[in-house]
Amino acid sequence: MTRKQKRMSVILAGLAFLGAAAGLTFYALGQKASYFYMPADLATASVPPGQRIRLGGLVEKGTIVRGQGATVAFSVTDKQKSVKVTYTGILPDLFREEQGVITEGAFGPDGVFVADSVLAKHDERYMPKEVADGLKAKGVWQESKSQ
Amino acid sequence: MVETGHFALVLAFALSLVQMLVPLVGARTGNQRLMAVGGPVTVTGFALTALSFAALASAYAGSDFSVASVWENSHSLQPMIYKITGTWGNHEGSMLLWVLILTFFGALVAVFGNNLPATLKANVLAVQGMIGAAFFLFILATSNPFIRLNPAPIEGRDLNPILQDLGLAIHPPMLYLGYVGFSICFSFSVAALIEGRIDASWARWVRPWTLVAWMFLTGGIAMGSYWAYYELGWGGFWFWDPVENASFMPWLAGTALLHSAIVMEKRSALKIWTLLLAILTFSLSLLGTFLVRSGVLTSVHAFATDPARGVFILCILTLFIGGSLTLFALRASQLTAGGLFHPISREGALVLNNLFLTTATATVLVGTLYPLALEALTGGKISVGAPFFDLTFGPLMLPLLAIVPFGPLLAWKRGDVVAASQRLMAAFALAIAAMLVTGLFINGASVFAALGVGLAVWLVAGALTDLAVKSGAGSVTPAVMLRRLAGLPRSVFGTALAHLGLGLTLLGIVGTLCFGTEKILTLRPGETVELSGHTLRFEGLTPQKGPNFTEDRGRFLLMGAGGNPDGEITSAKRFYPVRQTVTTESGIRTLGLSQLYLSLGDENKDGSVVVRLWWKPLVTLIWGGGLVMMAGAAMSLLDRRLRVGAPAKRRKPAAALANPT
Amino acid sequence: MLFWVIAAILTLGASLAVLLPLTGGMKGPSPAGDHDLEVYRDQLSELDRDMARGLIQPGEAEEARAEIGRRILRLGAAMQPGSAAPKSARSARWVASMAVLAVPLLSWGLYGMLGSPDLPSQPLAERLAKNPADSSVDELVARAEAHLAANPSDGKGWDVLAPIYLRLQRFPDAVTAYRNAIRLDGDSAVRQSGLGEAIASAAGGIVSADAQNAFEAALKLDPANAKANFYLAVGLAQEGRKAEAVAAWQKMLGQLAPDSPWRSAVQQALGEAGGPAVADATPAAGPDAQQVEAAQQMSPQDRQAMIETMVAGLDDKLKQNPRDEEGWMRLIRSYVVLGKAEKARDALGRAVAAFGADSEQAKKFTAFAASLGVTATE
Repeated sequence: MTRKQKRMSVILAGLAFLGAAAGLTFYALGQKASYFYMPADLATASVPPGQRIRLGGLVEKGTIVRGQGATVAFSVTDKQKSVKVTYTGILPDLFREEQGVITEGAFGPDGVFVADSVLAKHDERYMPKEVADGLKAKGVWQESKSQ
Repeated sequence: MVETGHFALVLAFALSLVQMLVPLVGARTGNQRLMAVGGPVTVTGFALTALSFAALASAYAGSDFSVASVWENSHSLQPMIYKITGTWGNHEGSMLLWVLILTFFGALVAVFGNNLPATLKANVLAVQGMIGAAFFLFILATSNPFIRLNPAPIEGRDLNPILQDLGLAIHPPMLYLGYVGFSICFSFSVAALIEGRIDASWARWVRPWTLVAWMFLTGGIAMGSYWAYYELGWGGFWFWDPVENASFMPWLAGTALLHSAIVMEKRSALKIWTLLLAILTFSLSLLGTFLVRSGVLTSVHAFATDPARGVFILCILTLFIGGSLTLFALRASQLTAGGLFHPISREGALVLNNLFLTTATATVLVGTLYPLALEALTGGKISVGAPFFDLTFGPLMLPLLAIVPFGPLLAWKRGDVVAASQRLMAAFALAIAAMLVTGLFINGASVFAALGVGLAVWLVAGALTDLAVKSGAGSVTPAVMLRRLAGLPRSVFGTALAHLGLGLTLLGIVGTLCFGTEKILTLRPGETVELSGHTLRFEGLTPQKGPNFTEDRGRFLLMGAGGNPDGEITSAKRFYPVRQTVTTESGIRTLGLSQLYLSLGDENKDGSVVVRLWWKPLVTLIWGGGLVMMAGAAMSLLDRRLRVGAPAKRRKPAAALANPT
Repeated sequence: MLFWVIAAILTLGASLAVLLPLTGGMKGPSPAGDHDLEVYRDQLSELDRDMARGLIQPGEAEEARAEIGRRILRLGAAMQPGSAAPKSARSARWVASMAVLAVPLLSWGLYGMLGSPDLPSQPLAERLAKNPADSSVDELVARAEAHLAANPSDGKGWDVLAPIYLRLQRFPDAVTAYRNAIRLDGDSAVRQSGLGEAIASAAGGIVSADAQNAFEAALKLDPANAKANFYLAVGLAQEGRKAEAVAAWQKMLGQLAPDSPWRSAVQQALGEAGGPAVADATPAAGPDAQQVEAAQQMSPQDRQAMIETMVAGLDDKLKQNPRDEEGWMRLIRSYVVLGKAEKARDALGRAVAAFGADSEQAKKFTAFAASLGVTATE
């Protein structure tokens, strides 16, 4: 090989590498990203059981039930629809009734959402952004009142 | 004197405008006097910013609630340490800390930069001045920490309880030292583009700054990870959260920069690439600031956010990234390319390193920004989390880590892979042995776990091999070898330590992820639980009182072999009445390199308590490795050849070798 | 005064930092090439050291030495004799004088817009060291709060503070205080009914289930507790059970002592509910009703004076507790109604300052004031 060919092959190898990385990235985005839904969205979007999604909304008042051991059941609502969620583990400290929450997991065959993680925000003054946007879009959330 | 601080801040802004314009004009017209303005103005600007910061800190320490930011983020009953750290535990104060560090670094260049070419120094200070001016303006316009309340409220609203922790004293300042440290590299790059030439002294200056910034960023990320680990009570050390990615991207790019700057300094090659990388690294730091402050992404670590600020930072971001890249596009062709090298050589290895690291940076960037782009384009909301990064970032890191030990053993310009491989045989054998032992003898070890352990051992052994080979192991007597080892340049130790630290961190990650165990259960007082060979007895909850909180503290006795208590772990639920906030204080006990971690859940009506506990083998290595990496960077900085401005004392080689200790 | 002296000194220092280098002597320029040469020399000596240690082979060292030599040669060729002479001294002087002028002008101008030079620092320790007689109600409450934060199990303290909170309209705090008092010092009808009132007031007057529970607990301890009876009836009225509410109130009137302050409240409630007031009704005793009635009987001048006192009272209250959005709007409107545009403008300014110039509330205030014909500036 001449010097020029050598250099070309090095550059081609680099480009092939970058291409492979880009391909992998976009494949992974398609496969591994989890979509965010509010309870009312689930009526129109069909989410098969087992597919990982994020479910956000408010913790519906009076629905928190502590079951056997460390399992907790509650409903997530956007004031239009609500979805039953079960979670085994320790709830975040800022998890309260009527507060914004994001759960991640998948629907079980019985239609109950089994969450493996529950997020509430660090700071009690703020609502998770997706939830706030979603509620605003549905017209059930006003900007925070004067503090 | 709060108003003195406010005035000093305004004055510092005015000076930063002078700093950005006058030396620049001086350098363009070759006017020595105008260029000379840069130094004193930069130093004075730093002094004023420091005064301003001190004024704010004293307002926080003295609970002066006539200052709005103090009122919103402090409380008279907080312990003094949190009153002071509260100064930067909020958006306004942390931005002031940001510019304080920025002006401090600028002042360092001004004071110690006398051996720089005058025009280069003037241009560097001018670019620093631009960054400073933009952020001063940002602070004054949208995030002024000195806004007053009249009449003053009598009590503050307390610092977010999560931030009432020593982590706040260490993590943000370190992280900012890292972020902002890269601004110097950025300024040098833009200055070189303005001048249209890169001096040999350029790389000499940029490399130590990269090291400093990288060292602090490493420490900041490691500290932040540990803080989140024990404070959030989820037992996780890394969540691939956007805010974490925001600090991780500059780290990856900075690591690449660190390596390409070596090539540039030693071989005058990769000049243009290094320059671009320096610009990109700081751009990613700015992007991180934007992502964290604007609230465009949901994060578990977010600050209070404000869209108006986001727009402002976006403008700064566009201005600096767009401006510098445009300048790069215009001027890069004027810069002379450097020396040539064979693909298989130290340079080749470093290029490969850069290829992997920048690609990895790009994947993290895509993963972080894709949800934003998708929402803007289609309105769909997605979250990209660990599964994505495991699939993309992981495969990029594995080959990179595998080739790390080869790099330092290859010669410059033209290397010999076969010779390097022979030298690494012992390390390779060790790694294979570790892999087999893990795979065959540890219950439940997956192929991945064995591979990870092997790779970690390979990195550690490879780093040690590097030191051994360079001190002549095998060919000379041990005494001579020791003498040679002591005489090696400190940067060689730096490299070895950094690579070793990387191996330790990997070992910690693999240990925790692959061999960790976890239990969630409810416990009544007196009941015991067993996890990975450790037995804990729950003693019950006792209410206690802190300065500005009350808590229920759960005591757990760690039972030793003979059934006797062998130490205790406590975890607590704290209630902060001012913010009506509950936090969990996790209980951690370190056993060797591993940790028992437990976190308390809610109390049930029947008096039992939900407890989640983890056994995390080797977990301390994750952050220990980070500390070793920092030590490596510090070691390299101590190398005389890198200490800029250090007088080139000619020591006799004999004297250097005479002291083997 | 001291502040302006310090500001002047700082400005002077900053201006000197610009001025001195501009007038100072000049060092001879050192061409950039010198620096490069030094770097290359260093690299050569480093090469020697590496070779002495046996880190690189002699062959490689020779090659590297040749390469560095080539760089030095190239440097020599590139160096031009004499750098460009300083051109256009006039423009330089122009830039210099602009820079020197900019520092004081810009800093004083900007500070004038942003700063509050008349406001002294107010560290809390200093404020609390004042004589209690000079302290405002809020400051006294703050002291009590500080005491309670240090001794949160002082039930008596909570008991004292709770009604004060209620009067200061800090309802959520009042709820907490009543709950703490009940927890620590035990149940009492007064505490339970106070808790109920606090819960109801926090909810804007709605008697919720929580409030109802508290009132019922109070009645269990003291069936004649007027507050509890009254609010429970209010609750009935809110549920639409008007007849039952009216019956309850009428029953109250029969039981209440003739000088009870609740009499007027009950009568007013009955009036609103449309129920027949009892014939032997004593004159209204509630403070608000009394004032209103008194105002109706006053001469116009007196009435004006009384309204002004009330507005001044509101003004004072807002000085103590500036984060009261409603209060500010009421105050601005009152001043407009009283024809005191100057005062209204001033109130607007203070309202905006209290919430920060770029806050949501500030925008609201400005828009509200504009609708009444008041603007922030002349």
